[in-house]
Amino acid sequence: MARSCFSILQRVTLVLVLATAFLGGPAQAQSDSPAELISRLAGADFRETERIVEALAATGDPAVAPVLEALGEGDLFYRRSDNAVFIARRGGAGYLLTDPLTGADAGEAGRREVTKVRVNNSLRRAVRSAIGTLTLQSPDPGVRMAAAEAVLKSRDPEAIGSLDAAIGREQNERVRTVMERARAAAVLNSDASDADKIAAAQTIAEKSDQEARAILMAASNGASAQLGEALAYAVRQVERDLAMWSAAQNVWYGLSLGSVLLLAAIGLAITFGVMGVINMAHGEMVMIGAYVTYVVQEIIRNHAPFLFDLSLLIALPLAFVTAGAVGMAIERGIIRFLYGRPLETLLATWGLSLILQQVVRSLFGPTNQEVGAPSWMSGAFELGGLTLTYGRVWIIVFALAVFAVLVLVLRHTSFGLQMRAVTQNRRMASSMGIRTNWTDALTFGLGSGIAGVAGVALSQIDNVSPNLGQSYIIDSFLVVVFGGVGNLWGTLVGALSLGVLNKFLEPYAGAVLGKILVLVFIILFIQKRPRGLFALKGRAVE
Amino acid sequence: MNTLSKELTHTVLYLDGISVSFDGFKALNDLSFVVVPGEMRAIIGPNGAGKTTMMDVITGKTRPDVGTALFAGQHDLTKLDEASIAQLGIGRKFQRPTVFESHTVRDNIVLALAGKRTVFDTLFARATEEEADRIDRVLDTIRLADRAGTMAADLSHGQKQWLEIGMLLAQDPSLLLVDEPVAGMTDAETVQTATLLKEIAKDHSVVVVEHDMSFVQDLGVMVTVLHEGSVLAEGSLDRVSADERVIDVYLGR
Amino acid sequence: MMMTARFLRLTGTSGLILLACLAAAAIYVPVANQFIPETSLFHVSTASVVVFGKYLCFAMLALSIDLVWGYCGILSLGHGAFFALGGYAMGMHLMREIGPRGVYGNPILPDFMVFLNWEELPWFWHGFDMFWFAMVMVLLVPGALAFVFGFLAFRSRVTGVYLSIITQAMTFALMLAFFRNEMGFGGNNGLTDFKDVLGFDLQADGTRIGLYLLSVLALALMFLICRGIVLSRLGKVLIAVRDAESRTRFIGYRVEHYKLFVFTVSAMMAGVAGALYVPQIGIINPGEFAPANSIEAVVWVAVGGRGTLVGAVIGGIGVNFGKSYFTGALPEIWLFALGGLFVVVTLFMPKGILGVLSQWRRKTAPAETAASTAPRTDEKAEERA
Repeated sequence: MARSCFSILQRVTLVLVLATAFLGGPAQAQSDSPAELISRLAGADFRETERIVEALAATGDPAVAPVLEALGEGDLFYRRSDNAVFIARRGGAGYLLTDPLTGADAGEAGRREVTKVRVNNSLRRAVRSAIGTLTLQSPDPGVRMAAAEAVLKSRDPEAIGSLDAAIGREQNERVRTVMERARAAAVLNSDASDADKIAAAQTIAEKSDQEARAILMAASNGASAQLGEALAYAVRQVERDLAMWSAAQNVWYGLSLGSVLLLAAIGLAITFGVMGVINMAHGEMVMIGAYVTYVVQEIIRNHAPFLFDLSLLIALPLAFVTAGAVGMAIERGIIRFLYGRPLETLLATWGLSLILQQVVRSLFGPTNQEVGAPSWMSGAFELGGLTLTYGRVWIIVFALAVFAVLVLVLRHTSFGLQMRAVTQNRRMASSMGIRTNWTDALTFGLGSGIAGVAGVALSQIDNVSPNLGQSYIIDSFLVVVFGGVGNLWGTLVGALSLGVLNKFLEPYAGAVLGKILVLVFIILFIQKRPRGLFALKGRAVE
Repeated sequence: MNTLSKELTHTVLYLDGISVSFDGFKALNDLSFVVVPGEMRAIIGPNGAGKTTMMDVITGKTRPDVGTALFAGQHDLTKLDEASIAQLGIGRKFQRPTVFESHTVRDNIVLALAGKRTVFDTLFARATEEEADRIDRVLDTIRLADRAGTMAADLSHGQKQWLEIGMLLAQDPSLLLVDEPVAGMTDAETVQTATLLKEIAKDHSVVVVEHDMSFVQDLGVMVTVLHEGSVLAEGSLDRVSADERVIDVYLGR
Repeated sequence: MMMTARFLRLTGTSGLILLACLAAAAIYVPVANQFIPETSLFHVSTASVVVFGKYLCFAMLALSIDLVWGYCGILSLGHGAFFALGGYAMGMHLMREIGPRGVYGNPILPDFMVFLNWEELPWFWHGFDMFWFAMVMVLLVPGALAFVFGFLAFRSRVTGVYLSIITQAMTFALMLAFFRNEMGFGGNNGLTDFKDVLGFDLQADGTRIGLYLLSVLALALMFLICRGIVLSRLGKVLIAVRDAESRTRFIGYRVEHYKLFVFTVSAMMAGVAGALYVPQIGIINPGEFAPANSIEAVVWVAVGGRGTLVGAVIGGIGVNFGKSYFTGALPEIWLFALGGLFVVVTLFMPKGILGVLSQWRRKTAPAETAASTAPRTDEKAEERA
């Protein structure tokens, strides 16, 4: 059945081939099967060969690409005995033959038994452009894209024709854009008219990257005055866009750093900002969160590897509970005896931070622990001229989510209400039946728990070691003070703006000097506005 | 102009059109009043009427948004800091007694004593006979002479209030601002305090902020009623307490 | 007679004991080092002389912190920076004094600059070849930093924990800066390989004993200066500022000037401590700026008893003695011990060792009421911001 179908097809093809023979012209040649076309290469003259090449290209069948390549290289031969066409490579006594379409081994042939399909320069050019056309019209958009990008690199004017054909047929928006760009690059490299080139320059300038800049710069060599002006304008446009994208990339890096600062500081905004407790062991709460992540991942690795992608999600609640519990223990055990004595609290909690570090060091050792990234956090994607890594995106999203949840808890839950009541007027709150001690402990636990949650996220971008927390403590305090103590939104704005400021300084000053400048800036800023960016005003402050 | 400046030089304290707002809340709203030399004035008003904020403005702790505040007709209080204002001769007693707890009673007075206030003056200061005399006189006035060597922290609440008044005396200001001097005092102490203040008022101008009506009655001076940051009524206690609006503010609404 | 009485008033009883102990240590240690045979139990090795000298320097640092914290309520978490700056000023002189004896034999440039291919001496290294200039800088550099920093901070009324946090940020920023090679202070490695000071070989026993004696003398002098300050009327103002800052303002004292004075004096004292520390230890590196160092120095004061001066000296020496012991014998325990010390002192001994002692003495002899100037911890010294 299948066989008969095939033979019918063959017959139809034959009819079509005959029709083509009468009518000529490439339009009909499309209907020829590649095999049929190839077989006609045997003994064809240059003109005939060129027609066949064009016809082959027009099939859009990727299988013909090796044939064309072989033709261009002079590796295509036909057997004198039966005019069958093969790709032949020297080997053995004569040539090793392979079937041009399937690539299957087709035995050997003596030197006398085969003849090369002859090519000249113009034919070679035709072959090259045919290969371009062929891949440009491949059914696989990935191949078409790669072909277009190849032209964009080579800027080969020969490709203009095949690109024109391909653009006309292209359905895929993204591929067509690249094709048009490639065409423009080729036009700029050709001897086309100034008008065409100016239009091409505009096309190139539509997407601003280093490549566009290089293409335009290359084209301006020996350009006429009018064209040169247009090119210079396009270059300026590209450079302006590039500067904008690089600024945007800096903002992105800054937001990314800012989100890290926000994560580290957000718990402190509760314990220090709202409660007024100077918890120097705050960084250690973050560290505990990171170690919880490590432990969770260890357990998953050993017992349930399939859960690895969920490890961070599992670690989140555990880190919150662990750090929160430690925080509550600290509050009940030490801090509550020191309310109203901030400097003593500072010293006691610093001592505590030393103890916590040493505990972790004794339990897990002083070295960095390996915390892996789940698959959904690795990789990157492009957005306009930006490259964004998923890990950073998630951390920003996560930081903002934690912030949002915290704001909601404070605003809209009865616990939040009690907490605000206690911090604003302890005695009044107490006489209204709020258990202020309990509220203190829970509030401190909340701040610490959030620090633990931050630790889960920070385990992804920092070394998990007993010293993890220390590197965040100064920054966190500065963020909270900079933003304005007692103001969560201040912490948000403070963290993000300091992050961005830091990243904008880095290209000019280097990473270390940039950080120093930020520190100096904050120190000076606090002189100017001792209560921070969003200061509470009025008598309540005193 | 001439008459105005003449009038001004006859005032100790001249407040005109003072407004202060915190985050949209108007603590003082176009407040104006005048204290003349030697006068004792009582300021009354419900909570939140702006009494403490007014004190803050006069002593340089809070800057008004608009308005004029002149001391002795010539010093612009809105441009000076607390220390300069204190050195000009405005003393302030806080609602909650704040004395230097880890100093002795005597040292508290020494610190308040009128004199040079620069770092190097204090570094090389020597106690003089004259100073000692003045300190003794102040201690006598506030009835703490026998407790001169006691740490201020060990005084009773009333004694701390007196010590603070004593510090004001030692400072010898031309204007005293006294915030609720009898809060938390026993009746006997209240009466003694009234006597003390009247004695002080003989050669100082005094502004007393007070809640306690009977105490104001005891003082028997002109009363200014503050309400929502501005002056509601002024006059003798009998007159203002007959005022409809004052009764509304205090009793009803 | 008159003089003696005034001196006694200046030192106070505990201060007199302290000075006597210092005098005894000044006599005993060199004698025990030089004349008592090594086999004897009472012999003091040269290494120990250096260690004692180091403790004395730490005691000076503690003293300087007590002056600002104990008497004026300024909790500086950045005093290590002033200590280190004094140390660097001294170190720069010692570097210049190496001269052509360095590894690279450059008569002007210190080794690390040759290593970094620097052509000439940075401008801020000029003058440090002269000893007197370096000594002026030991006072001037920390003093100037403290003055500028304090001027800005106190003028804007940055107080309490806010001040503590920005002093910490200050020393952190300096640490980062000094770690950079481009700063011209030897980067990571700091300044080291010193040869001699004023022609005396730093490795020689005589020099080491000399430096030790100098440290004893400096500590005693600093103690007397501090006592002089806190006993003056200015000292009374400082305590007034500590206990009720705004009250002090309302009786006419320009609080920021007082704070600035005492902060600057204290920074200079810390600088001198650092300058004596470096030739004895033989190295100064950016690690001295680490915020942890400064905060540790604060706990020495807390342990000894803040606001007592004598307590600061006891704490500075005692805690460091304990540290040497622990880090040698039980290194893992040291952080537990130090951390525990912070907690225990703040919770149970708010007045430090000296407070406990005087409490105990008052119990045994209730008649004697020493007019302690230690801050009272029962009242709210600082309002909750």
